[in-house]
Amino acid sequence: MMPKAKFMIGNEAIAAAAVHAGVSVAAGYPGTPSTEIIENVRKFGPDVYVEWSVNEKIAFETAYGAAMSGGTGLVAVKHVGLNVASDPMFSSSYTGITGSLVIVSADDSSMWSSQNEQDNRFYGLHALIPVLEPYDVQSAYDLTLKAFEVSRLFHHPVILRTTTRIGHVRSNVIYEDHHEPLRGKVIKDPNTYVLAPENARSDRKKQLERWREISDYLSSLCSYEPDGGDSIIITGGISYSYLKEALEDAGIHTNVLRLDATVPIPESAILNHINGIRRVLVVEENDPVMEMQVADILLRNGKAVEFHGKDLIPIEGEMTFEKLKAGLFAFFGMKYSGSYFQDEPLTPRPPALCPGCPHRSSFFDIKKGLSRVSMQNSFFSGDIGCYTLGALPPFREQDSATNMGSSLGISNGVFRSTDQVPVAVIGDSTFFHSGIEGVANAVYNNTAEIIVVLDNRSTAMTGQQPSPSTAIDIGNVCRAMGIEYVETFDPFDVDAGEKAVQQAAEYVKKTLKPAVIIAKRACALEVLEKVDSETPKAYVDSNRCTGCTICYDFFTCPSILPLSNKKATIDDSCIGCGACVEVCPFNAISVKGEKPAGWEEAWNA
Amino acid sequence: MGGGMERINILLAGVGGQGIITMGKMIGNAAVNSGIKVFVAETHGLSQRGGSVQVHIRIGNVMAPLIEKGKADYIVGLEASEALRNLSYAGKGTVFILNKQTIKPVVPKVNTPDLEIVLQRLHGFRYYLVDGERIARDAGNPKGSNAVLIGFMVGMGFFGEMQKKAFEMAMITDPNVRCFNAGYAEAMTAKKTDAPEKIVTG
Repeated sequence: MMPKAKFMIGNEAIAAAAVHAGVSVAAGYPGTPSTEIIENVRKFGPDVYVEWSVNEKIAFETAYGAAMSGGTGLVAVKHVGLNVASDPMFSSSYTGITGSLVIVSADDSSMWSSQNEQDNRFYGLHALIPVLEPYDVQSAYDLTLKAFEVSRLFHHPVILRTTTRIGHVRSNVIYEDHHEPLRGKVIKDPNTYVLAPENARSDRKKQLERWREISDYLSSLCSYEPDGGDSIIITGGISYSYLKEALEDAGIHTNVLRLDATVPIPESAILNHINGIRRVLVVEENDPVMEMQVADILLRNGKAVEFHGKDLIPIEGEMTFEKLKAGLFAFFGMKYSGSYFQDEPLTPRPPALCPGCPHRSSFFDIKKGLSRVSMQNSFFSGDIGCYTLGALPPFREQDSATNMGSSLGISNGVFRSTDQVPVAVIGDSTFFHSGIEGVANAVYNNTAEIIVVLDNRSTAMTGQQPSPSTAIDIGNVCRAMGIEYVETFDPFDVDAGEKAVQQAAEYVKKTLKPAVIIAKRACALEVLEKVDSETPKAYVDSNRCTGCTICYDFFTCPSILPLSNKKATIDDSCIGCGACVEVCPFNAISVKGEKPAGWEEAWNA
Repeated sequence: MGGGMERINILLAGVGGQGIITMGKMIGNAAVNSGIKVFVAETHGLSQRGGSVQVHIRIGNVMAPLIEKGKADYIVGLEASEALRNLSYAGKGTVFILNKQTIKPVVPKVNTPDLEIVLQRLHGFRYYLVDGERIARDAGNPKGSNAVLIGFMVGMGFFGEMQKKAFEMAMITDPNVRCFNAGYAEAMTAKKTDAPEKIVTG
């Protein structure tokens, strides 16, 4: 088989390796920085079954089921997604699998697009699942292959843990394109796979046995690079790449031990390289997962060394040369002088809702509708999606957004503790991910709240993956679950939107029951992908424009800009959606130009 | 592939939606076409929607993806003011390549950053101001200012041994190749006349 080379991001490399390893079932839920893994599996392996599941738990179970039947399963999620899938994940370590199961945990160190930067290597320690960590893009490919091999060899799940600068770094990767999906067959082994207490107790023993065997095996998955002296630096993951470059540049000679499996760290891996060593530095990104294990091994084997780790290398944020060098140089008694210049403190440039985004219109309508019933100061229980940006001015319509599906549970708690009717705001994909149970709870426990579903027909934030809302009607779901008040409105129709919000609020106040209103209009980026020809454009009639500022300061479409005389103008980024037309109280905005074929259908998908 | 070439650190700064990730891809592909090791570090997700975006490009004998602060050889402001937001990556010898464009942050009651103020703050640095939008428009691809800036940098000789051909092959579309060549021509003119180059010593 001739190796090929391709310039690709780490996530593509992982997808290629999964296909090469014979993956037959791959599932996930989109989330940065994991999304491109599942997206690319299909590209490398057109005959692999690939699925965007409704959430990470289902995705996990899908891959787990494939592995249970002897097939090769892949589940790829972001770090917080693994929290959602953690229930079956712990079970998978008990039962083991017949085929192979690789779990990619794409951790977002520095929180580029996440609510936290949890270090999922702890899941490995907690659930007894080995964790392999690539240190660059090529090793992401190589170690993905290894992860499938280890899983198949020991009939045990394996976590491949990446961080943002593995998955979202582009480099030339050498790979092979051989593949043949390894599918399963129906295997009946209830004594293993039915975790009734008696089976679970027997599985537990086998799990611990496998854990010992795996631990022994993993001692070979490391690279020892001796370079003299009585110090050793133990490292893994992306930190290794920073370390190697820093040592070379600074001309520091020291022994380096890179562990490709950072959980569990076998005793032999450390003890084989510790003779004559007096000083140890553990260098790792985020939490002291390696450090704890290494310290434990040294202590239990009576190795008295000077030991450093998180006292020199910060826990917080992704690895950088600045963090590494400050700690590394301190370890060697040298001084690191950082950069000379400082970033200019400019006005922050937060991400913004796109031109044509229906969420902007929804937030505008919600605010106006609630004002009609003096509820504009309600608690806005928000959620995870593009609409989380509604927390920013001028809208400020997300008072919390803590985790996927949080809007409904948090709003229930806020209502119970304050007796004030809250507004829960959730997107369509998030609704099916983990909001739907919150609706059931609102009916079951009778929560007086306004539930606004922003249905843009898409899992938009991660790049317009499909959403279950295109197959299942959210209104019907809510009615079937016992919500008596369900209305749908078009967010671009300001009057209808305001009225829908006002009437729902009045209903909730009167009946003290939950109401659902659904703002339904497609994601603008999805619309643009569906039409071929030029879109119309909106224009401001400067004779009518009074410079009232509503369109650019209160509606804040990025295409609408203020002129020096405070009047508005609309630039080339306008997509002609027309949402601003009704926003202008002076009828100064109009849309000109032909609508392309399929325009209305795309918006109303 | 690997060493063999001196290290080049390029920080691209701009606004999500400007084509900054594509710009990183194009430069990265040119390095691959030249047989030189390269890392391009991107941020995805929310950063794509009108927010500040940075792409780190490291070429040559490199192992890690992110540039060390103070060590960028070139800072490219695809949106001029975004270069300032990343000043900590500059050292005394850093060269700035600024696209002559400023974009208003999508925040109420905030004005578009003033280009003159941006240039004042860069007092003491060597910088080039390139009218990427105009050059791209004239070359027939209004969205090709990223390719224009690459062409300009190649024309100025900022990419060491990497050949012009390697970049042309990396431009993805023909309109981009035209923009690239227009940027290249702009650099040739600049070298002759010194016109768009500003070197202000403090």
